[in-house]
Amino acid sequence: MGIISVENTDRLYWLGRYTERVYTTIKVFESRFDSMIDIDDLEYEKFCESQDIPNIYKSKEDFVARYCFSLEDENSIISNLMRAYDNAIVLREEIGSESLSYIQLAVYAMNQASLGRSPLIGLQHVTDNIAAFWGMTDDDIEESSIRNMIRVGKLVERIDLYSRLKVFPERIRKETRRLTNRIDKSTMRYDHKRMAHVNYLVQLDDLPYETLTDEIEKLVGDEL
Amino acid sequence: MTTYADIFSKKERVEDMEIYAGSGAVNEQLARYGVKFGIYKNNEFKEQLFPFDMIPRIIDKDEFTYLEKGLKQRVVALNCFINDIYGDKHIVRDGIIPEEFIYAGSGYLPQCDGIKPPKGIYAHIAGIDLVQAKDGDWYVLEDNLRIPSGASYPMIARMISRRSSPDLFTGKHVEDNRNYAAMLRRTMDHVNVGGHTVILTPGRYNAAYFEHSYLAEKTGAHLASGHELIVENDHLYFIDYSGRKERVGAVYRRISDEYLDPMTFRKDSVIGIPHIFDIYRKGNVALINAPGNGVADDKGIYYFVPKMVKYYLEEEPILQNAPTYLPYYKEDMKYVLENFDKLVLKDVAEAGGYGVVFGNKMTSEEKENFKTMLKNEPRRFIAQEVIDFLDIDIMEKHELLPRKADLRAFVLMGEEPMVWKSGLTRFSRNPDSFIVNSSQGGGFKDTWVLSQ
Ligand SMILES: Nc1ncnc2c1ncn2[C@@H]1O[C@H](COP(=O)(O)OP(=O)(O)OP(=O)(O)O)[C@@H](O)[C@H]1O
Ligand SMILES: [Mg+2]
Repeated sequence: MGIISVENTDRLYWLGRYTERVYTTIKVFESRFDSMIDIDDLEYEKFCESQDIPNIYKSKEDFVARYCFSLEDENSIISNLMRAYDNAIVLREEIGSESLSYIQLAVYAMNQASLGRSPLIGLQHVTDNIAAFWGMTDDDIEESSIRNMIRVGKLVERIDLYSRLKVFPERIRKETRRLTNRIDKSTMRYDHKRMAHVNYLVQLDDLPYETLTDEIEKLVGDEL
Repeated sequence: MTTYADIFSKKERVEDMEIYAGSGAVNEQLARYGVKFGIYKNNEFKEQLFPFDMIPRIIDKDEFTYLEKGLKQRVVALNCFINDIYGDKHIVRDGIIPEEFIYAGSGYLPQCDGIKPPKGIYAHIAGIDLVQAKDGDWYVLEDNLRIPSGASYPMIARMISRRSSPDLFTGKHVEDNRNYAAMLRRTMDHVNVGGHTVILTPGRYNAAYFEHSYLAEKTGAHLASGHELIVENDHLYFIDYSGRKERVGAVYRRISDEYLDPMTFRKDSVIGIPHIFDIYRKGNVALINAPGNGVADDKGIYYFVPKMVKYYLEEEPILQNAPTYLPYYKEDMKYVLENFDKLVLKDVAEAGGYGVVFGNKMTSEEKENFKTMLKNEPRRFIAQEVIDFLDIDIMEKHELLPRKADLRAFVLMGEEPMVWKSGLTRFSRNPDSFIVNSSQGGGFKDTWVLSQ
């Protein structure tokens, strides 16, 4: 089978991370949006804090418009989706035109969503396409190391986001177990000591979320 | 001459095409698969969908058989010519082509002198631009032997239109054109000197990036950029993620000659591969197409192609050129100046539809300026009779509208020459224009070759 460059292994990993980032932040946005409708106008401030992103927004309307759909806002969902797209578009040969088309469709859905008045309906098409993309990569990509690189990116991002959001330890433990099982199958280089440390951290009764975030961010990548 | 009017009933033509076009299904599919080309506008890179029109160009079986013969003959002669020019140069010594047409143009690369590429093939993939005049006669407008692009568009358009409009194909006996990737693969394998086959791309900000990545996927060749490949111990290698070096035996390079190797050509090239030219010269890698082909697809050399057919193959040329004049020759200059209004003038150094001007579209001042330029630099221009070529209908806002359309046919040189039973039909979206280039806003159609 084919040969793959360092650059492209990196891109597969980031494709996994950005698709996960888009997917999960949309899910979180959905729950916050609901309370912004008629319960708490300022819910978005808490959201920014939890995500560690600057609160540059003037109102809930401004938040919805820019955080979801503004390419100028580097933390926006659309900016992250475009990063996924930028990685995917140069991986046609690794992931195949069929898988790639779902990222393309997610981008169209995102642009479409920005035009409507009910962002949750529009964003649902985005998550639908990302889910289809993941399903397609599992189904269609023959080379298991390629599938696993995307998976590893996805799980790393998920643990990262979950620990920022301080979700229940049990959910983080589950994702960590999945990552531990997966990472060796990806043939990616990673920091084995850190992986062990992450496993240790998630078992602690009082889960140290911030340390976990730091550790997981450094697991794979240049700092090795 | 078959048009779609002959094989589609009136109802199909108007109502069905309208339904298909109107349903948006085709465009939705094209968008889904990212059938785009990139353009730079105000220094910014933009991706644009390539406008596709459902109504195909249709070519009869017999007519295509004739084209196929003529195209093979032409490309075989062109290959002989390039071999000769970088070899013994008989055609110049025998006075068939004046020396200055070879050496003064930018296409001739002295670095290629004396090189015999693998299997003696220079032009592996040729894109020959043709138009069909109203009386049915075909004319070659141009040979593209460097990096002719465009085959991926009808390939994917066929896949999509068969999905979106299956009824249009039922019982029509259309040759399948989705075999292009297999043909290309055979062509690349034929010259591969051992190892992987890669498609070398300048990257995603190239106008034809869609095509590079799509052809890589469909041929199973590996898409790579320059910095992923390295020359060591006289061989070319791809460096994979584990640091392992994998030998490469053939490179279908989609970057132009001058950027290919900073050690031999442009020093400032960051997309090329240092020393690849040295090992190519030694026969240790195949370059597809070979460097130096520009000497044969120069607009000035075009004039001599029918003469090449006679000279190298001792055959009568099957395909004709558009009647062309070289102001370089006194009598041609005279003719051009006297008949300026009915001619089209082309700057030999330009491509992509730039530098192509029609005499009758110029103001009298522009004409005078042009004539002065022509007299000062006669070698820089060629003139052609304007071929009033056929319109093909396009569907626009529920209406059928005639538009000028040309045809780029693809000839591949594997073990033997092969002509792809399809081609890229480009059309002008402007009713008054003959210029069909995509960089000028043109669209494309599928090309159907009938099998019976
Ligand atoms: N003799 C002619 N009569 C009528 N139209 C012509 C003639 N020559 C050129 N054209 C029109 O101009 C277009 C561009 O011409 P030509 O192919 O020579 O230029 P180019 O700049 O090399 O374009 P490209 O390389 O993209 O094909 C043709 O596709 C055709 O539509
Ligand atoms: Mg042309």
